[in-house]
Amino acid sequence: MTSESRHSLQINAEKCIGCVHCMIACPTKAIRIKDGKARIIDELCIDCGECIRFCPQDAVDSRTTSFVDLNAFQYKVAIPATVLYGQFDNATLPNEILFAMRRAGFDYVYELSTICELNNAAIEMYLNTHPKPRPLIASTCPVVVRLIQRRFPSLCEHIVPIEPPREIAAKILRANLTRMSKVSPSNIGIIHITPCPAKMVSINHPATMEKSYLDGAISIRDIYKTIYQALRQSKEDTIMAHLFPETIFSGIGVGTALSGGETRGLKNHRTVAVSGVRDTIRVLNQVELGLLRDVDLLECMVCPDGCIGGPLTVENRFLAKSRILRLVSMMGERTVIDSSDMSLLYHKDFLSFRHSIEPVELPPLDADPVQAIQKANRRNEIFNLLPRKDCGACGAPDCRTLADDIVRGQGALADCPFAREEEK
Amino acid sequence: MTKDVVFKQEFPVKGSDFSRAGEVSCEIKNLLKELGLNAQVVRRAAIATYEAEMNIIMYAWQGTLILSVTPGRVRIVVEDSGPGIEDVALAMTEGYSTATEEMRELGFGAGMGLANIKKNADDFEITSEVGRGTRLDLTILTNGQRP
Repeated sequence: MTSESRHSLQINAEKCIGCVHCMIACPTKAIRIKDGKARIIDELCIDCGECIRFCPQDAVDSRTTSFVDLNAFQYKVAIPATVLYGQFDNATLPNEILFAMRRAGFDYVYELSTICELNNAAIEMYLNTHPKPRPLIASTCPVVVRLIQRRFPSLCEHIVPIEPPREIAAKILRANLTRMSKVSPSNIGIIHITPCPAKMVSINHPATMEKSYLDGAISIRDIYKTIYQALRQSKEDTIMAHLFPETIFSGIGVGTALSGGETRGLKNHRTVAVSGVRDTIRVLNQVELGLLRDVDLLECMVCPDGCIGGPLTVENRFLAKSRILRLVSMMGERTVIDSSDMSLLYHKDFLSFRHSIEPVELPPLDADPVQAIQKANRRNEIFNLLPRKDCGACGAPDCRTLADDIVRGQGALADCPFAREEEK
Repeated sequence: MTKDVVFKQEFPVKGSDFSRAGEVSCEIKNLLKELGLNAQVVRRAAIATYEAEMNIIMYAWQGTLILSVTPGRVRIVVEDSGPGIEDVALAMTEGYSTATEEMRELGFGAGMGLANIKKNADDFEITSEVGRGTRLDLTILTNGQRP
């Protein structure tokens, strides 16, 4: 392993006190406590950010882009996730937020809800033309893609091969901004404003293309103060934003910040929307057992209630959700995307993955089948010696995982303070 | 000598325990992945196991899935104590089901069960005694080649 992790999540060794909260919360059992500090196992981490939520010491950092990093670019462009519209009070309209961002130093701010609707329409076209397999799984949440690659490899072919809105938007900007701004392509920096750390990983290590169209992602948490101050700074801006409605918003698109937002627009298909990482894993397990075949599209969002519940947001998600719902009803169900435009882009493959999503093999107990079987037996023997308290004192999240670590040569029975003395 | 190496584990399943439906199949599926088996082999075993697990939950009083894995094959023996099947040949036909209205409302009992198990297995045997129970014995080859 190289020392440079591919992940966005990082344990801050100075703040970490080696308690077990993150380790127990991790849905893929990717954390161990070694030498009094939490460690993330790279191959197992899917960047869901549960550890951020559960750490009482604020010791999990997410490596996202900082506002200062943008100074490397002459022309700075932001594509905020529609989640951002629910982060300020009810009186603050999306247009004002976009205005405030320009005031805060972005040369261009691209509104994403229209592209969310475009993405929705493309998914619908894909569903209409691909009767198999079922259920198809939407790919907007990058954690779901990573989870499927590692834990449910046989479901890779179920993922709808349409790029998420943020990438489509950046691709559109790349195609047009040089001409519009008269700035050379390498001096244009395009960043996403994100509610979660996983977007950063999908930008640095995309699963479906050689290189992302985005240059980075700033967390809502990090940029909140900047936008908030810019909003307060000038009442004139607010008036301008009202009198200058240059942006078309899509109610359907804004709604995709919530769980069920992607399936809401699909009136002619059977859909299921799941949110939360544990429920997502449960439902994907069912799909792998051959269930849900009568469902056309499965939307999975690993954050509770969808992206609105992202670990890098600021506002509590219930308030944020109510604001988004209010915006959706204000904007209505009116389609803002021209269906012939969408069809043209769809058929030119402008919206689809460059390459398909490949499974990422997790290491089996042993590459040799005979050894693997022997280790599985040994693991059961070891497990029977353990107390099944799942206390985490050994540094593994539960007894079963400690037994697994031991047969893989990454732990010892002596790590358990309760294991029967004579066995140690 | 190494040919005899085998991993064996038993999984009890309780009849009518719909709330835990699929748990045993999931555990077996994950075990097979950890043993490094080919993804399609794991998937076929998982689908067959799930159908067998559901049959116990829906129709039997209780049962056991006995998994044994050797380098060459996955074998799953399913034994239940239950009402048994009167006409095994009929029960094997696709679409045949004795599921109650209640089960169907829950989305179970589409009547593909036994036929689906057979379809996913490389070797399949069924014996049943009315009033006592049913025994399934299925094998899937780990090289993924159909015999």
